[in-house]
Amino acid sequence: MNNYIIRRIVQAIPLLFVISIVSFSLIKLAPGDPVLSFVTPDMGADDVARIRQSMGLDQPAYVQYFAWFKNVLTGDLGYSLVSHRPVSTMILERIPATFGLMGASLLLSLLFALPLSMLAGAKQNSIPDRILSLLSYIGISIPSFWFSMMLIYLFAVEFHWLPSMGMRTIGVDSIWDILKHGILPCTVLTFINVSVYMRYIRSNTISQLEEDYVQIQYAYGASTGTVLLRHVFKNVILPVVTILGMSLPELIAGAFITESVFSWPGMGSLGITAVHGLDYPVIMGITMISSILLVIGNLAADILYGAVDPRIKTTG
Amino acid sequence: MKSKNLLLSLVLAATAVLASACGGGGNTAETTKPAESSAAADEGQPKDGGSIIIAVQDDPKVLNPIYAGDRVTLTIDQSLYAPLFTITDGKKEYVLADSDSFSDDHLTYTLKLKDGLKWHDGQPITADDVVFTMDSILDENQHSSSRDQFVLDGKPVKVTKVDDLTVQFVLPEVSAAFEGGLAGLSPIPKHVFEGEKDIEKSEKNNNPIGSGPFKFKEYRAGEYVTLERFDDYFAGKAHLDSVTYRIAKDPNAANLALENGEIQMRMVDTQDYNRLEQTGKFNLEIYPEGRLQYMVFNLNVPSMQKKEVRQAIAYALDKNELITASYSSGDFAEPAASILTPDTLYHTDDVQTYDYNAEKAKQLLADAGVSGLKLRLAYTNTNKPQTSQALYIQQKLKEVGIEIELLPMDGTAYGNKTLDMNNKDFELSFGGYIMGAEPDAYKSLFLSDAAYNYSHYKDADFDALWSKGAVEIDTAKREELYKQIQQKVADEMTVYPIAYTKAIVAIDNTYGGVEEAQPKPVVMLADLSKLYKK
Repeated sequence: MNNYIIRRIVQAIPLLFVISIVSFSLIKLAPGDPVLSFVTPDMGADDVARIRQSMGLDQPAYVQYFAWFKNVLTGDLGYSLVSHRPVSTMILERIPATFGLMGASLLLSLLFALPLSMLAGAKQNSIPDRILSLLSYIGISIPSFWFSMMLIYLFAVEFHWLPSMGMRTIGVDSIWDILKHGILPCTVLTFINVSVYMRYIRSNTISQLEEDYVQIQYAYGASTGTVLLRHVFKNVILPVVTILGMSLPELIAGAFITESVFSWPGMGSLGITAVHGLDYPVIMGITMISSILLVIGNLAADILYGAVDPRIKTTG
Repeated sequence: MKSKNLLLSLVLAATAVLASACGGGGNTAETTKPAESSAAADEGQPKDGGSIIIAVQDDPKVLNPIYAGDRVTLTIDQSLYAPLFTITDGKKEYVLADSDSFSDDHLTYTLKLKDGLKWHDGQPITADDVVFTMDSILDENQHSSSRDQFVLDGKPVKVTKVDDLTVQFVLPEVSAAFEGGLAGLSPIPKHVFEGEKDIEKSEKNNNPIGSGPFKFKEYRAGEYVTLERFDDYFAGKAHLDSVTYRIAKDPNAANLALENGEIQMRMVDTQDYNRLEQTGKFNLEIYPEGRLQYMVFNLNVPSMQKKEVRQAIAYALDKNELITASYSSGDFAEPAASILTPDTLYHTDDVQTYDYNAEKAKQLLADAGVSGLKLRLAYTNTNKPQTSQALYIQQKLKEVGIEIELLPMDGTAYGNKTLDMNNKDFELSFGGYIMGAEPDAYKSLFLSDAAYNYSHYKDADFDALWSKGAVEIDTAKREELYKQIQQKVADEMTVYPIAYTKAIVAIDNTYGGVEEAQPKPVVMLADLSKLYKK
């Protein structure tokens, strides 16, 4: 088992290397010049040239890449081209807000998705199933920024129940205040997540219910509830483990659009600003952390498979 | 029952994750609730106390005036740092400076500071700070973007201390633009930054020590920057206790927050005006932004090299219709004729104008021997006024037989294309600039080899006018030079000025003193210390 984990980690190293090259190339291929995002016409040409040089942006792309790569090996993610602050500091100060929001929404999503989609699968084509399917389609197809705006308009502007933006009321520092600010963005993310999860879990429940072992349980006189909770649940949980593994990077990388609309001070907001400014040290920092978490998440999911389903053995 | 417990514990866990993750990490010393004061009976009498929350679109960059270039940082620096002096509409107003004078040969400039000035940490502001600031700007290793303004003919200005309050600037050559460059310059404290290898990346910028009416209190990344009143401000204490700049990324959501009272001041767009006005909750200040919005002819393309063709296009367009189409009403934009904005020194309306005249346009085209012209018009696809203008121009130019192909482009791609000196991908494009009061600053947009010479118009005589304007110290002669420049561009029609646009700032009407605080381009209000809670 330990050998297996070590082997997987070693295998991930070239993968991460390739990811870093691909992301860096994509940033460099994108039209635009990071210097232009803060140059104004009243700056002299010499000033612009000096600024470009001071950031190393006058060098060819591969030179920039290897300079970045060498720093990363020593644990230094560099400085943002735009704010001139250390990238690691910028990322660390954003992680708590994103982790809180994404973690809460992930837990709530599972909480709603598991029972609802198993119910929908068990009562296929019933009225509740149809309603849930409709909601799920809405959730998958609705643009998150529009949904967010509607919620803000309704709950913040019309009813005055909840704040419309940010994570804190200025001058107030309480957990209750943060929770109140988190409700709307969390609702948006949860609704969309549940909709996606439901598609997987519902169809999995349906196919499990057609398996022989289920028919045998029924033959022994077990009730539908018992069959679902005791037997089907264990098998349905497998794709959920995969989803969880894939969601791990999201916990840190956050949600670009939802965070921006609500001005949630997380990684998503940071990421979208960085992309607009072609701030490659920040974009690369976020990409690499997400990639590492994706590798870890997949690994954890594979190991968990073994725990959830003893038929899957890891050899190594 | 088991599943119910599971449900409950999951909810609790979710709550705990959210709370624990977001709760920590703060470093607020104390909490100050916005003071609620009832509307004063006598509204003319400014009151002290209270606070305001102002929306800005992004996190500030380095809160250090020698690097500030973006809107958000400039806005915050406006309250955090005081300049030496300002020049508004040609009038000089001393701030930290007490007086200044030029020697007879105009090569030595002496600046005297006010006595008793203090930094936010209580240290005195002296000539050493001004010298240090100038040295830092001129030091190439500090890569300040203002360096070029103080390098004349390749040689830097020499700055020396005369006594504690007096600084002497020795210019390598006569420069009429020097004062304009110095206006608005805010010194940075020597005792804080002395010895820093790279001031831009210095940790000390995280806790800036300024000289303005408000001092730094707290910055939370992605959330807000809070400043509090500086009691030792030389021009008198500010009325408000604190000012918070709240980062609101999404403009639509920010407008809702404004209506909801979570934000009390914000720069808004013309299309938001009516909706906000109807609420009756806001004081909507409309004021000139010092910005010119224009269409530029790309002379790299042969079809644009004939002056008659460019003039014909100008005659074929009705500027008032163009403005109404894009800014919904003339209230938000004033028709423009000159390339210098009205707040710029020596701006004149005495230039050739092109009142709508389709017959004349057709005649000019016929005289030039041009027919069946097909042109491409490029603009930024996310810019709403530009999109409306493009559609209008496409329609209108059909009347004189010119066919327009619209090229809406991604913002960065568009920016890159316009800076390509050999660009021939389109004949027409839109743009806008805010250049400030000093006309010399405009030369980076018009000199033959300038990076921002979007028209690619190259003329040695025209360049010579700019060079003369920069060194002419006789005001009347200088005015004449800039008049010639403005007339030349209007006559050559390399740039078609559309409008001097206006900015709209919405301020919750429970605040007074907006006029005294002086609405100002880019930074919203020039002097927040004058704002008070009614």
